[in-house]
Amino acid sequence: MAVYHVLVVHFPIALWLTAYLFIALRTFSDAEIFVRLQKSIWPLILLGSLAGAVAYILGLQIYPWSAITQSPLGRNHIMLATWTLSYWTVMGILGFRLRRHLFDGAQKWITFTVGSIGALVVVITGTLGGSLTGTPSLVTKSLSYVGWNVYTTFYVPTWMLVVFALGAILLVALGYIGRKYPD
Amino acid sequence: MRRTYLAVSVAIFASLLVAAWVTNDTGVKVNDPENNIFIPEELTTTLQVKASYDEENIYFRYRWPVDRPSIFHDVLVYRDGVWEREKGEEIGPSENFLNEDRVAMMIDDGSVPLFSRYGGYITIGDRLSTFTGAPEGGEERTKYLPETRSDPNNFDTVVPQSELDTLREAGYFIDLWQWRSSRSNPIGLGDDGLVAEERSGDQGTGPYYTNWDNELDQPRFMFDPQVTGQNSLNFDDVVAGNYNFDDVYYLSDQTAIAFDPNFEWKNGDTIPRRMLRDTQGSRADVVQPTASRWEDGYWDVTLQRKLDTGNVLDDKIFRDKGSYDLAFSVFKNASTMRWHYVSLPMSLGLETDAQLVAQKFTGENPGWEQDWTEVKMFYPGQISWGRLTDPNLHPGAEGIAQGVPVAYRHSEEQLALYGVEVEFADAIYNQWLWTLFLSLLLIVAMGININLLMIRREH
Repeated sequence: MAVYHVLVVHFPIALWLTAYLFIALRTFSDAEIFVRLQKSIWPLILLGSLAGAVAYILGLQIYPWSAITQSPLGRNHIMLATWTLSYWTVMGILGFRLRRHLFDGAQKWITFTVGSIGALVVVITGTLGGSLTGTPSLVTKSLSYVGWNVYTTFYVPTWMLVVFALGAILLVALGYIGRKYPD
Repeated sequence: MRRTYLAVSVAIFASLLVAAWVTNDTGVKVNDPENNIFIPEELTTTLQVKASYDEENIYFRYRWPVDRPSIFHDVLVYRDGVWEREKGEEIGPSENFLNEDRVAMMIDDGSVPLFSRYGGYITIGDRLSTFTGAPEGGEERTKYLPETRSDPNNFDTVVPQSELDTLREAGYFIDLWQWRSSRSNPIGLGDDGLVAEERSGDQGTGPYYTNWDNELDQPRFMFDPQVTGQNSLNFDDVVAGNYNFDDVYYLSDQTAIAFDPNFEWKNGDTIPRRMLRDTQGSRADVVQPTASRWEDGYWDVTLQRKLDTGNVLDDKIFRDKGSYDLAFSVFKNASTMRWHYVSLPMSLGLETDAQLVAQKFTGENPGWEQDWTEVKMFYPGQISWGRLTDPNLHPGAEGIAQGVPVAYRHSEEQLALYGVEVEFADAIYNQWLWTLFLSLLLIVAMGININLLMIRREH
């Protein structure tokens, strides 16, 4: 199953990173071609999510769950793959709902920031997959220079989990409170 | 105003990601002596090795960094009329420096096929002593080789003696040389042992025995004051590291006399609990050219043995141009049991291509002109062979079944980190699952937030 995971996983990576490229181009330019390309962003993202879901399911078939979740690198790859898939799916839904408004005025910087985080997560997920198959890249090593050795499981302490939960509630609350204000 | 809310929301989201990054890998890995868990501050170290041989003997020279040498093992201390045993902690380092420093080397000649690929990992069986959950009491559960058990993952399933004998005659054992800073070094000896159905000494007698008379409940020997100028050591000085190689700090035939219970002993008087002696039989094969010394932050130890000891059931026989496999371990920071640093297997060639090449010399002693071979050593944690070969516990089990060497997939640093993670496997798994779930929640919340706050201005 590993070979099929590796085969399929190229599709979401290519689609999501292409979408990010279009987001970046549109953020920094109002040229007509980039305005046209902007229309393809959400389809690219959601196609990527579809391919990503297939790759995700295939990936989970490679090793028994009990084995892969005993491996720090395995856990990390699952964690990052879950983030990537969910993050870009959320981005795709936003793209579908907001369309061109993603790039209205200063909002384009929000879109660009959120998109950049997504691109970063894709790259880390990919490099963890490479490490898992025995081909660590410079990205793997670079992560340790900025505080995360990928051969240790990524998890946060319990108090941080509480902060996460509170943060999620706060974000939703800010959304509902903020939307009462006019544009 | 909505944009301000949106910007603040994105800032909160990004801040939470940064906070997660900063607090990652904290809050779980806490030492737990009750469950035999103590994580060393230093997970890797380096051993330097050289090897030389002549027509008769082979020599290995080892050098490794140690901040403070530990030259005592357990001792007997006089307190209020009673001699009490003081020994180092088994779990983690000894605060009183009562665990000796050591170096050990496993040797195989190809008779144990898995050894060249997985080294000492194959000897780590079912719940060995000081592993979390190891049965308490009884005799020490030592290393053993998989084929010596009908179920390699069950310590108690030793195959019949006739089968053990057949395995031994086929060379299915690992030769094990040891050097101990307290229990062999002072009289210039090493210790020759092996790992087969257990880790044990070769036939014969070892370099030490216990200095304790069970019937009289007192030491059997004390220092000879005429030779050493003292009847005993002082415990405070032992703990403070005030004895060095110029002092007589060990008991042997040359430095000890029979214990005198009528001597006016005072509190704090200390006598080593081990009496050193000449080794005999096959166990006497590994010796030192001279007693080793710690200097400038390094132990520098040389062990020698005959190329062919004639003891084919205990020793791996070295031959000119021969190829062998080695794995090393060193003990430092006054630690014992499994709190050591180990190496991956490496090849040895006697004037033939290998990771460590033994150079042939003529004359009385090796010149040691060759460069050191650096060996990365790592804390192994609690990784057993049963875990490594179980496809439900180790994603690489299939690779092991296919014979993929450990060094092909894992570095020493990686193995040290994995060894630590296994010690907290359940706790980390639970924390990881919660992190996964709540981070997912956070991503969805951010999506809802943006969807609510982004302005849809019609042009």
